Amino acid sequence: MSALAVETKTLTRRFGERAVVREVSMSVPERSVYGFLGRNGAGKTTTLKVLLGLLKPSAGSARLFGVDVAKDRLKAARKVGALMEAHGFYANLSGRENLDLTRTLLGAPRSELDRVLDVVEMREHANRHVSDYSLGMRQRLGIARAMIGAPPLLVLDEPTNGLDPDGIADMRLFLSALPERTGATVLVSSHLLGEIEQTATHVGILHEGRLVVEGSLAQLKAGLAPELAIDVDDFDRAGALAQARGFSVQRTPEALIARLQPRDDARVAAAALNRAFVEAGVAVFSIAHRARSLEGIYRDAAKVGA
Amino acid sequence: MFAALSVEFRKLNRSLALLLAVVAPALIAIFTFFNMLRGSAPQPYDIWIMSGSAIWAFFMLPMSVTALTALVAHMEHGPKSWHHLRALPLPRWRIYAAKTVCVIAVVALMSALTLLMTWAAVEIAAAVKPAITPSGAPDMATHVWTLVKMLAASLLLIAVQLWMALRFQSFVPGLALGIGGTFFAVVATSARAGVFMPWQMPVNMLTDEAWRAETALAIGGAGGFIALVLMVTHLSWREVR
Repeated sequence: MSALAVETKTLTRRFGERAVVREVSMSVPERSVYGFLGRNGAGKTTTLKVLLGLLKPSAGSARLFGVDVAKDRLKAARKVGALMEAHGFYANLSGRENLDLTRTLLGAPRSELDRVLDVVEMREHANRHVSDYSLGMRQRLGIARAMIGAPPLLVLDEPTNGLDPDGIADMRLFLSALPERTGATVLVSSHLLGEIEQTATHVGILHEGRLVVEGSLAQLKAGLAPELAIDVDDFDRAGALAQARGFSVQRTPEALIARLQPRDDARVAAAALNRAFVEAGVAVFSIAHRARSLEGIYRDAAKVGA
Repeated sequence: MFAALSVEFRKLNRSLALLLAVVAPALIAIFTFFNMLRGSAPQPYDIWIMSGSAIWAFFMLPMSVTALTALVAHMEHGPKSWHHLRALPLPRWRIYAAKTVCVIAVVALMSALTLLMTWAAVEIAAAVKPAITPSGAPDMATHVWTLVKMLAASLLLIAVQLWMALRFQSFVPGLALGIGGTFFAVVATSARAGVFMPWQMPVNMLTDEAWRAETALAIGGAGGFIALVLMVTHLSWREVR
């Protein structure tokens, strides 16, 4: 079992009577890119704030590399760099000057500035005022600031928020490469499933404050049943025929979705269904195999959690 | 602590807070310049310098502290940088203590600029209109000492305004308190109870009544120091959501 960068045990955080994070036990392996998923208001940012020592847990514990955040915040904080949703840059200063403030507070050498600016490819823009930066540039500068002092854990809260499609694509490539380039573990929260699916090695899904799914993305996807999207002239008869053969069926406006068992061969199942439809006089326009995505995992998890 | 202090001072670079630090004393100097030009006969030099210090203590100091604390706090509230600062591996009290020292230092700078700019305004006015060249030489040591006492007496005012400004994300509570406090300090200048108002404590350094000056200095200085310690402690411990 690999060492853990982040470990929470039955972590709970309440605001008054309202529990925003409920008994969350998460494990983030070292050198992974951990996608922390959940819709807005699921409790992601609150969990991250507890990990950063900004909020105290109401119950349970949070550890960074074995250090209890609530008991020894300073020691834990030395192991983490963070980009929170709001960037917190001083608009009257340049990018380099902003980074230098954090560098001074951390007591890191001056050479750190060029190193982190190179990682985020912002060196040529570093002397411009932050007020002149695009949102994407601010995000990159925020990540550069989080990397000052080379902390072994980077916590990034919604780093693609507000970015245009090109910016999102750039950020995706950048995040995927981070562990290799810096050796750091990356914990990235997002509500954009597609982005996390292409970036993360591990995911945790938070639903209404509870961690409903967690694991390596490859393992989670391997456990998913494939689906067939069926287009025919009579959805009702086709649905009944598929159900009679043991498939669970769902009707959408565009197609009939037949869900297979995880170990079913999608091609064999498609051929069997096609034969049954033709023999019953149902005209078949198409039967397409759909690999299940992170969205499928998320939807299943949300149903279980609800 | 030196790192935190250095960071706080560097944040002021090209900021509105620094602009305010220059503009507020300059306004007093500009007023002194034109006020002198209205006259036709020389006045004692000390009168002009003292008048600049009086305007500073009576009105400009409380208003400047109100604006300065709002601007300094808004440098963190505006871009929501508290989360970044408070997540760093350094004791949080240092962040707030450094900010407090920085504000006091800027008020001290403004006090010094008030004296320097007023002196410059008097010299320029005398050069423009030689007939009003002030008589005698200014007793600068006494004026400096008075401004130092004003600064000490304003510590409680600084504590109250800075506490409000840092505690509340909106600048409205701090500004409302500062404007209201200055207003009541002005209209209640001669009231006996006025000496207990933080916004009136600096101007009491100019009074002939010893008890007023001593009370304002004791409460403003010692009370202000205690209030600043309490403020730093409170802000360090509270959660910022």
